[in-house]
Amino acid sequence: MNILARTRDRLLGRGDHAITVPVFDGALKPNQHLQTAEVVIDDLVDPNDLATDDIGLLLASGSTVVRIAANGAQSEVLRATGRVTALATIEGGLAVAIDGREVRVFGGRHDGFRVCDVAGKPLHCVNALAVRGDVLLLCDGSRNRAPDEWRHDLMELGRSGRVCEIDLSKGLAREIATGLGYAFGVFANDDEVWISESWRHRVRMSGEVGRKVLSELPGYPSRMAPAMGGGAWLTVFACRTQLVEFVLREPAYRKRMIATIEPDLWISPQIASDLHLQEPLQHARVKTLGMIKPWAPPRSYGLVIRLGVDGSPQYSLHSRVDGNHHGVVACAQLGDWLYVLSKGARRLLRLPIPQIEQELGR
Amino acid sequence: MNIQDNRGSMRRASPTRQSDSLPLPTQIAPGRPFSAKYWTSASLDKTMSETLVKLRYRYWPDHIVGEILSKRWTETAIPVAVLIAVIWFLAQAIPGYFSGGQIIETLREGGEIGLIVLGLSLVIMVGGIDLSVGSMFAICNFVALLLIQLLDLPMGLVIVGTMAVGALLGGFNGVLIGYLKLRAFLTTLITLIIFRAIYDILILRYSTDIAAELPHSAVWDFIGAGDAFGLPFAAILLGFLAVGGHFFLSRLRHGWHVMAIGGSRRAAHNAGIAVRRTVALTYVASGVLTAMSASLFASRLGTLGGDVGQGLEVTVLTAAILGGISLGGGKGSVTKALVGTFVVLLVTNGLTALSAPGGLTKMVLAGTLLVAATFDIRWNRNRQRFINSVYVSPTYLALPPSPACGPDTGTVWQLNDKLRDVEVIGLGQVEGPEDIILDSKDNLYCGSRFGDIMRFRAPDYKEVEVFAHIGGTPLGMAFDKDENLYVCVAGMGLYRVTPSREVQKVTDETNRRWNSIVDDSRLRLADDLDIAPDGRVFFSEASIRYEMSSHMLDVLEARGNGRIVCWDPATNKTKTMLSGLHFPNGISIAPDGQSLFFALTTGCSVMRYWFDGPRKGQVAPVLENLPGYPDNINLASDGNYWLALVGLRSPTLDLANRMPGFRKRMTRRLPVDEWMFPQINNGCVLKFTPEGEILETLWDEHKLNHPMITSMREHKGSLFLGGLVNNRIGRYTLPKEQADPGFVQYQHRWGTKA
Repeated sequence: MNILARTRDRLLGRGDHAITVPVFDGALKPNQHLQTAEVVIDDLVDPNDLATDDIGLLLASGSTVVRIAANGAQSEVLRATGRVTALATIEGGLAVAIDGREVRVFGGRHDGFRVCDVAGKPLHCVNALAVRGDVLLLCDGSRNRAPDEWRHDLMELGRSGRVCEIDLSKGLAREIATGLGYAFGVFANDDEVWISESWRHRVRMSGEVGRKVLSELPGYPSRMAPAMGGGAWLTVFACRTQLVEFVLREPAYRKRMIATIEPDLWISPQIASDLHLQEPLQHARVKTLGMIKPWAPPRSYGLVIRLGVDGSPQYSLHSRVDGNHHGVVACAQLGDWLYVLSKGARRLLRLPIPQIEQELGR
Repeated sequence: MNIQDNRGSMRRASPTRQSDSLPLPTQIAPGRPFSAKYWTSASLDKTMSETLVKLRYRYWPDHIVGEILSKRWTETAIPVAVLIAVIWFLAQAIPGYFSGGQIIETLREGGEIGLIVLGLSLVIMVGGIDLSVGSMFAICNFVALLLIQLLDLPMGLVIVGTMAVGALLGGFNGVLIGYLKLRAFLTTLITLIIFRAIYDILILRYSTDIAAELPHSAVWDFIGAGDAFGLPFAAILLGFLAVGGHFFLSRLRHGWHVMAIGGSRRAAHNAGIAVRRTVALTYVASGVLTAMSASLFASRLGTLGGDVGQGLEVTVLTAAILGGISLGGGKGSVTKALVGTFVVLLVTNGLTALSAPGGLTKMVLAGTLLVAATFDIRWNRNRQRFINSVYVSPTYLALPPSPACGPDTGTVWQLNDKLRDVEVIGLGQVEGPEDIILDSKDNLYCGSRFGDIMRFRAPDYKEVEVFAHIGGTPLGMAFDKDENLYVCVAGMGLYRVTPSREVQKVTDETNRRWNSIVDDSRLRLADDLDIAPDGRVFFSEASIRYEMSSHMLDVLEARGNGRIVCWDPATNKTKTMLSGLHFPNGISIAPDGQSLFFALTTGCSVMRYWFDGPRKGQVAPVLENLPGYPDNINLASDGNYWLALVGLRSPTLDLANRMPGFRKRMTRRLPVDEWMFPQINNGCVLKFTPEGEILETLWDEHKLNHPMITSMREHKGSLFLGGLVNNRIGRYTLPKEQADPGFVQYQHRWGTKA
């Protein structure tokens, strides 16, 4: 694109400078299933990721990994040296990302495996793991920012994420996608690798120029989990607003905001809202006649999308602006139940899938 | 910021101000723009570029551009500017072009053409077009010469006869277009050809005969070539007709009918206007004016050449469109027609003087017509959009960092849950009780967004009724001594409801400032009021630029657009006392009866203004740099004052307030729903002393009942709470030791009624 066209776009707000956001339409039509879901555990402590093994559900909580019984009882399985930022099960063991800077395997065939850098570059922000046979797939979200600083990475227009593939039996590690606008979720669909590229609002395949699986999402995609019957569950941890899109095109404002204001109070997507008195407010979110409109611009939102085998969205589960089950970063399907981790509400939720599919006419 | 600092900055009383940067208290002449420097932003770190931004927004008045453009007269201003440019250019290009004689000749010619332009403009305004003016002109010229030279009729008959022929020709068009509803363009194109053919036949037959005779009338010579008062007769005639035409179009019923039909034929018909007749008559008028012009031409030149009036329609049409007579109809004025006429005339004559070939002159005319017509269409379609985009003009506003509010600040701003268990009154029965008030019999009144004053009956407030319907959006309220309820009504002004429930307008206008571009004599957004001991009503007007429905734009502009106005019952006069205020809101008379407290919502401060006594005219800050947006102020039973913070400041908006360009782009690119807005889902009530110390704050930590509080009123040990977008009124029972259980505001202010 030539510089004239770019300047024109910038002045007139067209092209890359347009701040339109796709609407929740078709398979993304809003409902309140996530908001009305059964709460399995309330008040989780620093929950980060979910995984499943033969026995049941595992949750990364702070620096521990706990097993969740069907009744919600928690039992510690593992205690790591730092915060567990991603979790996966592999060959009878547990693959765990610690503080985003290293990945270790505990138990099973590859017990004791540890990796701290790939392709000569240290891991910095490992936030998602997936397994395909002997191969461990890891998302290194950003080269500059730690997992908790994802808002900084967004506001700095971070494009330094990568996805790496580690063949545990051969001990080979390589990058399979680089220059990602925050890699936050990876999924092995047969022989394809799907990657959530949050800041570009899409799910793409691995490779230098990854083919799009799903693009122009109204939110920021995060981790994926396999769905029964093929395809995947895609979590969307926050949704886009035109105001955020606008601020992303205002370098001077962003710079001063990053420098002088706490991230919780930024104009940026959040995993939860109404936590602070001095949070920014958008006009449509003014509480009117005692209610917040569910269609107001979402500062935080709860969304899980069911993807088919080909990556096309089938249906979705929502917790809308007036709800609180927001910031969904992980989910896992166990039998007929979908477990959903709402990091924003610090809750583990559970939904009966066949019943919901019936209600949605699936 | 530690606790002491925090309290200290709040307690800073007016006479002993520490800040050296602000020369306050200030003596202010009534109605004078009030300097925005009433709070200190000295503690902010400002970069060089921010200082430049600040200066640029202080001294370059962006808002004026939009205000000027939204005036109707700007549409005339553009052709006038073109006229001036043309004059300037010709004066430079052709030495001596504007000599006395040349001007007289131009005026004479302008008089002739101007008459036809007036007629055509009338036709265009009614939604039609008249292309046959050139041919009509030729016929009328022939008729005039025939009557005066061949038939040697008296002067009066010649003129009347010529005009009658013009009326006949125009009437032919009028009947076809007005009554038979043929298309104006096609019809007049055809009559152009017919009339021209008639003219050709006539001159073939009579031209030699006519040319053989000479007129013998001095009057006839005078109208063609004579001057009066140094001006050519044609110009004087045009002047008279122009004044008359302006009067007709702007003041008379039939002129309005013409405009109405041009604006919307169907609506005009439905309104009972005789559309067909009016349309037909405009063509007659066009014919008559053309005939007058032809008479002037005939007496001046007495020529019967084949090319008389040929191509005249293009010249005249260009003049009308260039002047700004909209081709779509319904818009235009005599001034525009005249300006267009002289632009065209000067350009054509100028080109002739520059000895440009005739073809070029025509090309220039046609090109001008094309450009003007394009501009006309684009402008009419996009004018409002364009004005909307330039009218909103955010400015620079820097507030010092806000004091911390939250669960564990340890200051007076510590969050608490005192308002959690408020009693809820009228849930779902009221919408938008911005202010509430109680009378001496304990009845509760509030406004609603439907324009009603609602009354809840004491003692249990279960029964509600519409006390009075005013309209608009009732906001602040106060009782006077006679228990008249004075109400500020957004969009309407200051009203009162008598005890017998009669609604009376008190005032809806104030004095107009000489330098304001928007009409600031109207009260657009009267907000809150209080009544001085002598009965004078002081009320705030939040903005002179925006209505209630768009008040968020004023908040976003963060400019001092508001004012304090006083209505005096003794003289029934309304006068602006202070202006240039940042969204003035709550008003409450101070204990001395000589001053009042007023809240500046976007200025995040509370001020005191002395309207009487030794300090008359002075303004001093009471509370500065509040962490939220102050709204209504009302008396507390212990002699202090309650203040509602309608919302809290968010650092992101504070930062945006220092970046006007950012906000401007935001208003242009984002829909209103997406705009940054003050955090009005979180607010509180606070109590302050007249000296400016904050004693306590009341919060609803979990935001269940009263997320937003715009007003509160203490009454017999309870604090009643209202909110602009709430569907309920709250009643908080004050702790016994803090409130006088017998306190009634009416009695406190006016004494027990006899």
